[in-house]
Amino acid sequence: MSPVTFSGRSLARDAELVQLGVRSDQFDYLVALAGNPNTGKSTVFNGFTGLRQHTGNWPGKTVTRAEGFFTVGGARFKIVDLPGTYSLHAASVDEEVARDMLLFGEPDVTIIVLDATRLERNLNLALQVLAITPRAVVCLNLMDEAKRHGIILDAAALSRELGVPVVATSARSGEGMDELRQAVFAMANGTTVTAPYRVAAYAPSIETLVAEVEAAVRTAMPDAPNHRWIALRLLQADARVEATVPPAVLAVASAARWRLPADFHDLLTAATFASAARIAKAAEAGTVRRVGAKLDVVLDKWLTSRVTGFPLMVLMLGVVFWLTIAGANVPSAMLATLLLDTIHPWLQSVAMGFGVPAFVRGLLLDGVYLGTAWVIAVMLPPMAIFFPLFTLLEDFGYLPRVAFNLDALFRRVGAHGKQALTMCMGFGCNAAGVVATRVIDSPRERLVAIITNNFSLCNGRWPTQILMASVFVGALVPTALAGFVSAAAVVSVTLIGIGAMFLASWILTRTVLRGEATSFSLELPPYRPPQLWRTLYTSLIDRTLIVLWRAIVFAAPAGAVIWLIANVSVGTSSIAEHLVRWLEPLGGILGMNGVILLAYVVAIPANEIVIPTVLMLTVLTAGVPELGAGAGVMFELEASGVGALLRANGWTTLTAVCLMLFSLLHNPCSTTIYTIWTETRSVRWTTIATLMPVAMGLVVCFLVAQVWRLLAGVPM
Amino acid sequence: MSQPALLLLGFAGLVVVVAVLVWPRRGVVARVRRVVRQTDRVRTEDAIKYLYHASSDGDVVRPEALAGALGVRHGLARHLLEQLTSLGVARVDRAGYTLTEAGRRDALRLVRTHRLIERWLADQTGVAPTEWHEWAEDAEHELTVAETEDLAARLGQPRFDPHGDPIPTAAGELPADAPVLLGAVPVGEGGVIAHLEDEPAEAYAALGRDGLALGTRVVVRDRDATSVTVEVDGRSVMLSRLLEPAVSVTQTRVARTERAHTLAELQPGESGRVARISLSCAGAQRRRLLDLGVVPGTEITAVLRSAGGDPVAYTIRGALIALRRQQAEWIELTAAGARRTDEAVA
Repeated sequence: MSPVTFSGRSLARDAELVQLGVRSDQFDYLVALAGNPNTGKSTVFNGFTGLRQHTGNWPGKTVTRAEGFFTVGGARFKIVDLPGTYSLHAASVDEEVARDMLLFGEPDVTIIVLDATRLERNLNLALQVLAITPRAVVCLNLMDEAKRHGIILDAAALSRELGVPVVATSARSGEGMDELRQAVFAMANGTTVTAPYRVAAYAPSIETLVAEVEAAVRTAMPDAPNHRWIALRLLQADARVEATVPPAVLAVASAARWRLPADFHDLLTAATFASAARIAKAAEAGTVRRVGAKLDVVLDKWLTSRVTGFPLMVLMLGVVFWLTIAGANVPSAMLATLLLDTIHPWLQSVAMGFGVPAFVRGLLLDGVYLGTAWVIAVMLPPMAIFFPLFTLLEDFGYLPRVAFNLDALFRRVGAHGKQALTMCMGFGCNAAGVVATRVIDSPRERLVAIITNNFSLCNGRWPTQILMASVFVGALVPTALAGFVSAAAVVSVTLIGIGAMFLASWILTRTVLRGEATSFSLELPPYRPPQLWRTLYTSLIDRTLIVLWRAIVFAAPAGAVIWLIANVSVGTSSIAEHLVRWLEPLGGILGMNGVILLAYVVAIPANEIVIPTVLMLTVLTAGVPELGAGAGVMFELEASGVGALLRANGWTTLTAVCLMLFSLLHNPCSTTIYTIWTETRSVRWTTIATLMPVAMGLVVCFLVAQVWRLLAGVPM
Repeated sequence: MSQPALLLLGFAGLVVVVAVLVWPRRGVVARVRRVVRQTDRVRTEDAIKYLYHASSDGDVVRPEALAGALGVRHGLARHLLEQLTSLGVARVDRAGYTLTEAGRRDALRLVRTHRLIERWLADQTGVAPTEWHEWAEDAEHELTVAETEDLAARLGQPRFDPHGDPIPTAAGELPADAPVLLGAVPVGEGGVIAHLEDEPAEAYAALGRDGLALGTRVVVRDRDATSVTVEVDGRSVMLSRLLEPAVSVTQTRVARTERAHTLAELQPGESGRVARISLSCAGAQRRRLLDLGVVPGTEITAVLRSAGGDPVAYTIRGALIALRRQQAEWIELTAAGARRTDEAVA
């Protein structure tokens, strides 16, 4: 494309674009992508750009920004994904970013993505965009979802109403994306002529003021194209428009602004919604009465009633957890056998065959490989069961009802009912739980949910709890009761975690989070038959594999570190032994010992490797080499053997109880810390989320240990 | 004494020390910060604002009054006033001190900053209404003129603060007509609350407890030497006459209030039409409701009460949305009130 294409583009706009973080020399046309949250906007974006995209932040803002390139008809398009917003009143940072880009970046084409299942509400944003730019293409997305809900829309009718092209799409399956590309191209090169719909009638209290200012504009600037629009912008103190009108008009507008009603924005929005309702009605090509509509009413009656709501909820979530715990045992054992007992010796022998030095073999195979393999064996099966089950409930539409039922509880501590869901997710994996907080669209409540997610005992910590409970707590009672008592102990720790979550939420919303903006809303979508295969696929890809990958990335170096401190000696003993001796006094005060503390320091990357590290360090410091022979970093022992080994090294019931509590109340694993950072982009909140639980853990363990010793009369 | 007991005692001691240090407002850290912040400039600015508010009530200022208001010694108050006079900000005559025209401009600029900060707190943060004033009192001394104008631009050049007070423009303009104090409203008449004085905070909180909020309609029913009875949302509320100066109303011709029905009164199966959202719902909360399509004229049907009792799910523009009781109380319905709709009855 020759520079001539840019003749219509002013230098001023280029300067604006640079301020908005867009370099203007890399593309022929600039496309902005606008839409409400959860309209499939990012799917459309991915459909356009594929892998040619990158994410960063808006200049000077913490709002994430994605941009990429695509080509149609030989022209290069740069596409910028605007933050998902419900309106453009610039009242939040997201809205401000989106509005500034549309107003001052003057994109050649703006794609407005609409959710076909919520057309009326989505049109609110569409009409606001059309008030700013006529160069818009509407993408009527989620047509497949709409059909599932029995909604049939007429894209052509909608196009007639809005005065801009409308393309019906189902971006997830790629349907309609080609037409959308062509529509964008036609709009960019000027082939398409638009006549965008403008909201016409406002409430009388506004109309009088508009008329007053409009008259002044007309007198002063008879040739201006849209007197009414200028008048409206002046009433909203639009600095750009103010700069273009003479002082006499400004004076009239300024005087009128003192008389604006307090609910000015409400009345503007009301007018927009009145238009949206009419347009949505016109675009409706008839609804098919959904088969399940009556069933919805019945389901809701049972699932949210005072009498049956909670028992059904406990039952359903109980079944999910039971399936996860019971179902994960067998594949976990199989994976462990495969990765640890079969592949590891084989790798060792291959490496030895190639003459790899012992140090390298130890570091890579005993350290990195075994650490990673252990994490996979422990983590993968429960996640691969839990996440799909949970996603099925989500897809069915039940989870919002859980949030609905539990909201009263969460409201009292300043949190959102949906925190119940992100907590449940946290029982699978805290990192996944933190990502899941995206469903909470209120800044303060979302931060609360992120910071307190760690109080959900994740599946990496279940093995520690179960081992300690069965070896030490269960041993306190007759064998017949042992199983029941140790299960009760684990459940108690879980409940303490939930209690700590409520306490921490209460404290946070009254202290550091007091000033964060808050707004509640909870949509209860219609029930729908879950899509089994798609759910399995997306939960495996989006949740299980991503979390697993991150865990491996962090666990591999941890394996190396653990191997190194155990095998590199300073003076007469290994680094690990020095560290354990150094940590021993602190461990004693906390009711634990140096081995446990060191294990928690080196096992920050993954809670799964705490117990293997504890065992390895105990063997190492106790100097019983025959137990650890050839095992490198990770090894398993039978429960009875573990009990004997640990008791021989001074472990008591108090040690076990404190370890169980500390396993619940300590810093999140590094995968979760990293996820918290990527979700909040804030050092402050990441630090608080990391340090608050560990501080609570130290205090709780200290108090438990001292009170226990005081009562037992054992001065230590 | 055994070692665990000693350790526990030590821990208790540590907790006490930390509490004494960082306790909000009363802790050592908070006290030190307050003293450090109380610079000459802050005191001077507070004195200018005090003079301005006194002069808009038609009063002149004596050093003793200023000392009382700022919580400083008389000598310092006199010194501050003399300093302001020598700077040409204040002038003195036999009655006391008043602001000069230059001083008035300075004062308006401070008032502008204060009210803009309150607007920002209401619109873009979750800070509770009772704390707006205190936050703004601190922050108003820290913004430069450029920062203030930047804030104003970002907020869309608002004209009123969340209490209903006009925000002076950058040029120092204020609107001509002001609301009337409640004390000036005769028995039998009423109006819409246009302003609630946020100082002292106790009075503001007390008015809020009695249901007096911006935008609510009040009618004066009775008044004697010590108390005034007003009708608020159909309820009778007896207030101390001392609170009367804290309430200003407009449109005193409203003769009778009708009890406003709110969405919270709807039982599952009943419908209503939105009249307006109460002005006590501000910021992100209000925007969320607007975004969901809760605007004057929207038809809403209550559908489900949650098992926990509180959020209730409503059909709003085709979607099933759960709102908390507090939110539902903000949404006022038209006089037609609740109607049963057959389709919603399960």
